[in-house]
Amino acid sequence: MKRTIVLAVALAVTAVAVVAAPVVKLVYWSMWNQTEPQAQVLAAAIEDFEAKNPGVKVEVNWNGREIRKTLQPALDNKQVIDMWDEDTERVVKTWGAYALKLDSYVTKRYPTTSGKAYKDSVMASLLDLSRSYAKDKGLYAIPYQPFVFAFMYNKEHFAKAGIASTPKTWDDLLADMAKLKASGFTPMTVDDAYMDCLPGYYLAREKGYQWVQQLVKDKTNAMWSDPAVLQMAKAYENLVKLGYVSNTAASNKWPAGQQDVAAGTVTMYLNGTWLVNEIMGSTGPDFKWGTFSFPTVPGGKDDATAANYGAQAFEISKNCKNPELAFALIVHLTTGKWDAELAKKSYGVPVGGTTDWPVQLTEAKSIFKGLKTCYPWAAGIEADTDKAPVITENFAKLIGGTITADQFVEAMKK
Amino acid sequence: MRKKQYTLMKVVFLGPAVLSYLTVFLYPTLRTTVMSFFKVDSITDAVSTWSFAGIENYRSLFASTLFLRSMENIARIWLYGGLLVFAFALLFAVILTSGVRFKSFFRAVIYLPNVISAVALGTMWMQYVYSSRYGLLKEFFQSFGLRGLAQIQWTTPEHIFGALLVAYCFGMVGYFMLIFMAGIEKIPADFYEVATIEGAGKAAQFRLITLPLMKGVVRTSIVLWTISTVVFFIWSMVFSPLSPEPGTVTPMVYMYQMVFGANMVVIGRNVGAGASVGVLLSLMVLVIFLISNRLIRDDGFEY
Repeated sequence: MKRTIVLAVALAVTAVAVVAAPVVKLVYWSMWNQTEPQAQVLAAAIEDFEAKNPGVKVEVNWNGREIRKTLQPALDNKQVIDMWDEDTERVVKTWGAYALKLDSYVTKRYPTTSGKAYKDSVMASLLDLSRSYAKDKGLYAIPYQPFVFAFMYNKEHFAKAGIASTPKTWDDLLADMAKLKASGFTPMTVDDAYMDCLPGYYLAREKGYQWVQQLVKDKTNAMWSDPAVLQMAKAYENLVKLGYVSNTAASNKWPAGQQDVAAGTVTMYLNGTWLVNEIMGSTGPDFKWGTFSFPTVPGGKDDATAANYGAQAFEISKNCKNPELAFALIVHLTTGKWDAELAKKSYGVPVGGTTDWPVQLTEAKSIFKGLKTCYPWAAGIEADTDKAPVITENFAKLIGGTITADQFVEAMKK
Repeated sequence: MRKKQYTLMKVVFLGPAVLSYLTVFLYPTLRTTVMSFFKVDSITDAVSTWSFAGIENYRSLFASTLFLRSMENIARIWLYGGLLVFAFALLFAVILTSGVRFKSFFRAVIYLPNVISAVALGTMWMQYVYSSRYGLLKEFFQSFGLRGLAQIQWTTPEHIFGALLVAYCFGMVGYFMLIFMAGIEKIPADFYEVATIEGAGKAAQFRLITLPLMKGVVRTSIVLWTISTVVFFIWSMVFSPLSPEPGTVTPMVYMYQMVFGANMVVIGRNVGAGASVGVLLSLMVLVIFLISNRLIRDDGFEY
């Protein structure tokens, strides 16, 4: 009898304690799959945040890239989702209407920002980029995991071929590719997924990305007769003729091409700095990575200060009941210890100003510092979703050597 | 009093089925048809945000090279794939019903691809069988010294449609083989015995007994094949996982891109255009069904 009373009292006290302690819940829909290194670091960071903030519970939904299709219907259905992440341009343009304006939050100081306001302790260029996508130029998305799109290459190959510095012009590139071929390497390859980046960047280097966007949106196809297009096609036709492109380039179904880079048979691959992490499983951490920006081209106007750069970004819902808490979580994930962990474990670029860059991305750092113009994805060549597959198909034929530069231009004019 | 009982019984027994049909089948069909005349941004948008577009969606479809190419693709899949699949399925069905040994084993093996998920099959074809580096076909041809064939790169834009067709038909043969086998086994064996006694060879028996009595089965198979061609989606997505490509695009893939947005950052969404694709495809199936009913009349033999 006595034991029962003691037990009942103990249970009552616990029940009261549990009911009395307020549990604040944050719901976070993530773009990462649970098995990706970013997800694992974020999960650990969130556990740390919960430990530092008793009474707070974060519920994470690891959507993977399907979030691109599932988030908006869920938000329209008034499902409780406090924060989400995806590519900065996408979150601002597609989901900006559901997001909270964060201008007032970034001027405050937080435990991990070493006495500075949040906006002064992260990459300013990324915050500016985030603003540039919004119609009212307000800050809706907080970037992290930045990337830049450039040539990723195998430094050991360059060393063996006797190449002292990275190419700055198209002619430098040709000379370097000749040396690589002479040393027994395949200078370059591409996958179907990034096929249109090659013509896109060349054309943007020639005439700027706005011209590229106009080119693909022109329904009369008249702009394809511009000599710039033929120059680009001939440049790549020349690469193929000289044997500088992998002979499977036209048939490479992603990730076949980048696996060739991992295997050490191919030297260069135009891609994002995420490539290091993406093929880490095949390369191992000792692979000597280098990065150089897409070279300038004869008669062109753009140079290495222009490239596609961006980041993933967090947004907070307009209907979030605890926006300060959500923002505190974002600061926790993007500065200090967890920013460093994220950069280290995902071989990615850190967004906090004081964090070290992974050794594989050292050369990417100088590219980031020099960036002035942000290209859209593939330098704007995907601006028309109907035309894009046709461009990819025809360029694949060009890079496979089955059509000539003139035939490419003719096919695009149809 | 009796009439009332019957009415109640009818309502109670038919009610759930009719209700399910109306909500799950008829309502979405009607809503999609209405949607196809509007410009809609997101599939979950409220009706008040739709903007009337008349037949603009349909007009934009026929102005889109990608959509026209997708229609061309399913036409080729329907015709060439259909001939290929039906020829092999009929061949295997005739062989397996002619009294060979290990009939159950062969039937199981030929049907096996249907049991395996299309995504798994497609990935295997794409990344292994057709690989230009270490693929099955390349190794096979090389071991026979057929250098020219070994060097063909199956996943280039020129060849990818053929590659897709072969991979898809490989899996579909088993399905139609079973249907044809059931049709052949319905024909009484007496007919064949009499024909053999009268001196007819196997080919003549096939031509004069099997084929005519299979008309109904063939007609049903044509409709089934048409439906599976019209909804051709998974294989296209597996062969072109990231963005549609002209060599493999089909109307369903185009519709998916229109409704949910492309995988790129510029998404070009218009759910209304996607709805109009759906309406067009439904009409196509209806037309083919009516035509095949007209052309292939069931002679109504009794046996």
